[in-house]
Amino acid sequence: MWNRSPGLWICVALAVGAVIFALLATNPYNTSLVVWILTNAVLASALRFVLQIGELNIATAAFFGIGAYATSITAVFLGWPFWLTLLLAPIVAGAFSALFGWVTLRTKGPYFLLISFAVTEVIRLIYTQTNAIGGNSGLIGMFPPMAIDAYYPALAVALLAATLFVLYGVERSDLGRLFKAIENNDAIPRSVGLNVIYLKVLCVVIASAAVGLAGGVHAYANNVIAPSDFTYFVAILALAYVKIGGEGHPFGPVLGATVLTLVGQWVAGISAWENIFYGAVIVVTLLVFPGGLVGLAARARGLVTRGAR
Amino acid sequence: MELFVQLLANTLQIGAVYVLFALGLTLIFGVMKIVNFAHGAFFTAAALIVTSVVPFATVEMGMPLWAGYLLSAVAALVVVLCLGALVYKVGFQHVLKDLNGSFILSIGLLLILNGVYLAIYGGAPRAVPQVVPGTVNILGATLTAQRLALVIVAAIVTGGLYLLIERTKLGLALRAVALDQEAAMLQGMPYRRVALYGFLIGAALAACAGVLMAPINAVTPVSGDEFLIKAFIIIIIGGLGSVTGAIVGGLFIAMIESIGGYFFDPSTATLAMFILVIGFLLVRPQGILGNVE
Repeated sequence: MWNRSPGLWICVALAVGAVIFALLATNPYNTSLVVWILTNAVLASALRFVLQIGELNIATAAFFGIGAYATSITAVFLGWPFWLTLLLAPIVAGAFSALFGWVTLRTKGPYFLLISFAVTEVIRLIYTQTNAIGGNSGLIGMFPPMAIDAYYPALAVALLAATLFVLYGVERSDLGRLFKAIENNDAIPRSVGLNVIYLKVLCVVIASAAVGLAGGVHAYANNVIAPSDFTYFVAILALAYVKIGGEGHPFGPVLGATVLTLVGQWVAGISAWENIFYGAVIVVTLLVFPGGLVGLAARARGLVTRGAR
Repeated sequence: MELFVQLLANTLQIGAVYVLFALGLTLIFGVMKIVNFAHGAFFTAAALIVTSVVPFATVEMGMPLWAGYLLSAVAALVVVLCLGALVYKVGFQHVLKDLNGSFILSIGLLLILNGVYLAIYGGAPRAVPQVVPGTVNILGATLTAQRLALVIVAAIVTGGLYLLIERTKLGLALRAVALDQEAAMLQGMPYRRVALYGFLIGAALAACAGVLMAPINAVTPVSGDEFLIKAFIIIIIGGLGSVTGAIVGGLFIAMIESIGGYFFDPSTATLAMFILVIGFLLVRPQGILGNVE
């Protein structure tokens, strides 16, 4: 798969470039912006990963939060070592998502969407009601160890980029083809003896472990987390990234996250207009360019090759 | 007995708004197979219009409060119907039956509308004076006359909708399209027009809820969104697309909320409600009255 896709090498080069940038850049605003872009890219890619089986999983936001809380609780209250707390984020998020998937994936389409939405809000409600983990104000004081501190943005970018490549690898594997088959018609995989529920749960667990890790990384990058960081709105923004970038291609969500996060920095803080801006971008993209930026690029390339012929 | 009646009264007044709100959502889902995330925006639009028309009518035009309120109700209904028609023509008619596409579109619309409300009205809560003052005593339970009026009007609207769906030709078309759109089209039903009517009826129901709630709770640009999660849970329990399901589900959720809120606290009630939904789904994924797909 490496020989046939020069695009993949470009992506590897971009990822290495981002790591080097995070390593060398001196302005903390720029480094944290790169980490934030990659975090959003993982969120969007994970959302798209579950779209492979045809389900829109709003609970992506919840598992992002669970990862962040798992890391923060073990780091702040239990004082566990850095690497262990970071490793725990995907494991805990994956475990919760397995339970979540096992219960909810018996439903599909609108039911699954609405339930994942409700789960996200209720988990947030649980954080705000539990005073032991900071209630409404959340947790503070997740710092990487002194030895790593200076390199942490680079480490974060590397971990998140690696996560993106893993998601891509799974999508291109035979397992990814099974997910696609489920989306097209889940009766056919079932008819050849595949356990469709198990595969669906596996898909959600892989995606949730990815966002869980992103949550853990986010906790250390931000030093502060609060329940309001993990509302359903996180998943909705991720969905906007997927749609703007184009859901037809694995690079779409990454592109969408990069473009919208950068533009978002520019409109942020103009409260009412920020909402109108994001809303208008989503509506116009959906109605006018349903394939997103990647779809536009593909269409442009089609025109070019047709012209060359 | 007094406690029982009081809890029943609380259930009815919470449930009345839930039922109106969920009915609109479920009707739109049934006819168009879309989940309208922007449904709360219709509620908010109506409530905000009431808060600006009532002071204008009573102070500037010197109308009595009840007349000003009626005028504002008509204005709110008209504006929301126009808004609904606009949103349908520009957006939803292009994504009919596309679950993910329409969901994303409705989120975009919600963001735009919330932004517009915020830009026009600002974030501060806006209140309307009580239109029906005083309290009523029924079998030892007390409730404000305003809330009693809400329950009665909501019951009339719900009854009217039920008759519309069950007895009229439009209702028959709505049911036929919800059951099997292609078969309905084969019989010569204009699907797009029926879908538009279904969408407008849904929007009007949300507007009714907004008009009725405005004198009871202060209105903010995000008032409608607070009902959205509850309404989602209600239509999951009742079965997506089922009118009776939305009524039963709405009253059921209101009952859990009022009983749970009385004996414990509101957030415990919300959690209990949620755990119940999960348990329910394990047994019956398609809801009380939903159909198996």
